[in-house]
Amino acid sequence: MRWPERLYRALLRCYPAEFRDEYASEMAQSFRDQASAAPSARLWRDLLADVALTAPKEHAHVLMNDLRYTARMIRKAPAFTTAVVLTVALGIGANTAIFTFVYAEMLRALPFAEPNRLMQLAEKNDTLHLPNFGASVLNYLSWSEQTQTFERLGAMGFASFNLSGQGDPEQFTGSPISPSLMPLLGVKPVAGRAFLDGEDKPGSAPVVMISEGLWTRRFGREPSLVGRNLTINGIDYTVVGIAPPALGLLTGGDIWIPLTIDPGRENRLNHVIQVFGRLKPGVNATQAQAELDTVATRVGQQYPEVKDWGIHLLTMSDAFVGPQLRVGLLVLLGAVGCVLLIACANIANLLLARAASREKEIAIRTAMGASQSRLLRQLLAESIVLSMLGGGLGMLGAVWAVRAINGTLPPNLLPVPDVGVDATVLLFAVGMTVITGVLFGIAPAWHGAKADLNAMLKQSARTTGGSRSRLRSGLAAAELALATVLLIGAGLLGQSLLELQRVRLGFQPDGLMTFQLSLPAAKYPGDKGSAFYRELLESLRTVPGIRDAAISSGLPFGAGNYTTTPIGTVGKSVLPAGTAIPIDWRIVSPDFFRTLGIPLLRGRAFTDADDAAALSVVIVSQATAQKFWGTDDPIGRELLRAKDVKGRTVVGVVGDVRSTALNRESPTLYYPSPRGIWPLMDVVVRTNGQPESVLPGIRQKVRALDSELPLANVRPMGEWVANNAAQPRLNATLLAVFAGFALLIAAVGTYGVLAYSVSQRTREIGLRIALGAQRGRVLRLVVRGGMTMALAGIGIGVACALGLSRVLATLVFGVPVRDPATFVTVTLVLTIVALAACLVPAVRASRVDPMVSLREE
Amino acid sequence: MFHILVAVADRERHGYAIMQDVQARTDGALRLGPGTLYGSIKRMLHEGLIEELDDRPDPENDDVRRRYYRITPAGRRIAKQESARLAKLLRQARATGLAPKTA
Repeated sequence: MRWPERLYRALLRCYPAEFRDEYASEMAQSFRDQASAAPSARLWRDLLADVALTAPKEHAHVLMNDLRYTARMIRKAPAFTTAVVLTVALGIGANTAIFTFVYAEMLRALPFAEPNRLMQLAEKNDTLHLPNFGASVLNYLSWSEQTQTFERLGAMGFASFNLSGQGDPEQFTGSPISPSLMPLLGVKPVAGRAFLDGEDKPGSAPVVMISEGLWTRRFGREPSLVGRNLTINGIDYTVVGIAPPALGLLTGGDIWIPLTIDPGRENRLNHVIQVFGRLKPGVNATQAQAELDTVATRVGQQYPEVKDWGIHLLTMSDAFVGPQLRVGLLVLLGAVGCVLLIACANIANLLLARAASREKEIAIRTAMGASQSRLLRQLLAESIVLSMLGGGLGMLGAVWAVRAINGTLPPNLLPVPDVGVDATVLLFAVGMTVITGVLFGIAPAWHGAKADLNAMLKQSARTTGGSRSRLRSGLAAAELALATVLLIGAGLLGQSLLELQRVRLGFQPDGLMTFQLSLPAAKYPGDKGSAFYRELLESLRTVPGIRDAAISSGLPFGAGNYTTTPIGTVGKSVLPAGTAIPIDWRIVSPDFFRTLGIPLLRGRAFTDADDAAALSVVIVSQATAQKFWGTDDPIGRELLRAKDVKGRTVVGVVGDVRSTALNRESPTLYYPSPRGIWPLMDVVVRTNGQPESVLPGIRQKVRALDSELPLANVRPMGEWVANNAAQPRLNATLLAVFAGFALLIAAVGTYGVLAYSVSQRTREIGLRIALGAQRGRVLRLVVRGGMTMALAGIGIGVACALGLSRVLATLVFGVPVRDPATFVTVTLVLTIVALAACLVPAVRASRVDPMVSLREE
Repeated sequence: MFHILVAVADRERHGYAIMQDVQARTDGALRLGPGTLYGSIKRMLHEGLIEELDDRPDPENDDVRRRYYRITPAGRRIAKQESARLAKLLRQARATGLAPKTA
């Protein structure tokens, strides 16, 4: 063959195989004729155009044929089609729904310019075991001066603002931010301008930015708002701009003012801000971390009080999504992945079983000249069409599921809100669907297409399924293995949830109503704040239905201030001299312990007499006392904050309280409130019954004292506590649902494999019985075969679960990750389910009537 | 398709002969590529407009690889209808002066 013809034959490979089989030699022949008649460049041009035009047409033709054929097959087997489509819908739907959340929280780029160059600079202290702590203003200034690896640094604080003057007074959270923060993030105001350098100097004119949401809701998007004044915390601020949503994503809240820095009034140990930085182009995180280590050392040498504090660099996505949420999402994604794999294995099994019943049809088609690749493609097209139908249904289900999950989540659980099914997610789902179709279709198609024609056409071809039945048993075992892993995971998380709900809170949440007040410093200078609260608490107690009332700088699980600081002791302690450990601290009013139902174990509670001069008294929780003094009596001992010169005397010991998270003990220290009022305080009242019933009375009393003071975060305590368990509850619930699906599908799969093999072996079994085998033996034979496969699968599953248990460590609470009880229970449950799935076909086998089964042949 | 029907209307032809015939009758204006030709042949066979010959009409002068096609009664019917349609169209074109009176 000469090279032009060889080239043309190579070109002919563009056509579908059956077209080639039919016409390639003819076409090559006509090519020879043409080439000998007119060997020219024009011929090649025409040929290329011809191939480019007609090859896709032939392929489309074949595809249409396949699809028509598939449609006919689907119509012919509605029950089979429904089973497959629903299984795929379940798998794809669950995967799409979970992926939607994973994508929104972890994969989608944050709405900042070049977000991968953005970093958070947290403080860390290894001796205090604080890996990720807020930064102090003075350290932030030192870092800004010294760093060479960052283009610039920016900072934000936290604050609450009372907006009054126009309409009802309202309380908002928000942030003081450095003017550098918005340029650093690369975000621009929606209207107006951002803060200017210099507007953060003490004494500069008060300016404010508000969120687009607040602008819309309260001011009807009035453009003239920019430039006008708003009364915030009793002071007139000029609105300079409307902040973009991206700023709110980072800081939260609706109101921003410049972070005023007065170095003279700052303390290097006051960790009150969060610092962010933009890496210079070409600098990576490791280089930056190395530089910051030397910066921190240098600052520590210069200012010995911070010598134990280092800098911990976090990527923006780490800063946004905490490890618990991250692991939770990944575990759920893994779980739905398992469900999909089980579904695939199961459908592959169904298809294999069906392929057996279609052997005749396929043999006939092969005999009629259908090529192997043609059959393979035909069978794959069938499975992909099936998976497309299921995938479409699944995507609809996912849209619904995402909405439903969003509806049940408490606000603030997800760091990036507005989770929805978007184009990327749909693309993922479509890709997943096609892969699914190929995954469950490939093995059956391969088997179907290469089937031995001779053996199949013979009537007695009962034994052709040897390798096929091995494949089917393997698939069923794999399903059981995956189901085992899921069930063990669900079991562990379910128990963790129960443990969490069983946790002793240390106080009585039922009947408590909470809200927040923020007293503007301009209106309540000096002692006026304390006086206001004293008066408020007294008048609240007169509301019918309210038994007690108290304030705290931060209620357990509430939205108030979360404060922790290194505390050391004066004098004798079980700790080495000079060590300080982080202790949560709260400012509380005298009746706080009684109101919450926290028991006073020793000494006394605070009194109104613990005023300014006596700020040196504290109450400690039992765990705090134990940490410092072991079993010794703590009353009369002295404690001191790292920045204090004078110690504070312990006057009482109260019971321990879970206050920040259900799964974490919080050793706590309480300061008396009479003088140490914070700008934002939580108020809590104990009611006789329904917490909501006292709300009108509360509002009336607050308004009577100050008509401009808004109530924020008005919620019963029970809701705060429930929200804290929301994520574990969601994890456990979803995993349980997925594990349930997995168990169901795997059980059906096991049953299907055995039922099929029994029906295939009816003749053999009938023969055995006719030859005198006892029915009990037949029963045992079938059950043994099935259970060997099932136990192998379960065993592999247990081994995988043991290997994966460390992944769950951050999510599991109160049970060991290799909890023997869970492992044993799950193994038993699965064994029983598998046994049940084996027994039905086994009993059927033992009842085979030898005469009937032999006559069938 | 009509061109192929015309090409195999009077005698059996193999693929290359059809290509040559069409090219000759259209004075080289229509050159069927092999892909176009065999794609059309495949569909026309499927629709029963042409059929493949079992025996070679001219065995000593031919290559065994060649397959010959001829028109079927159904194909002839279709071709006649199409010819009538075209003839009618041509008459109308002549009547309105779009085409010359004689060929």
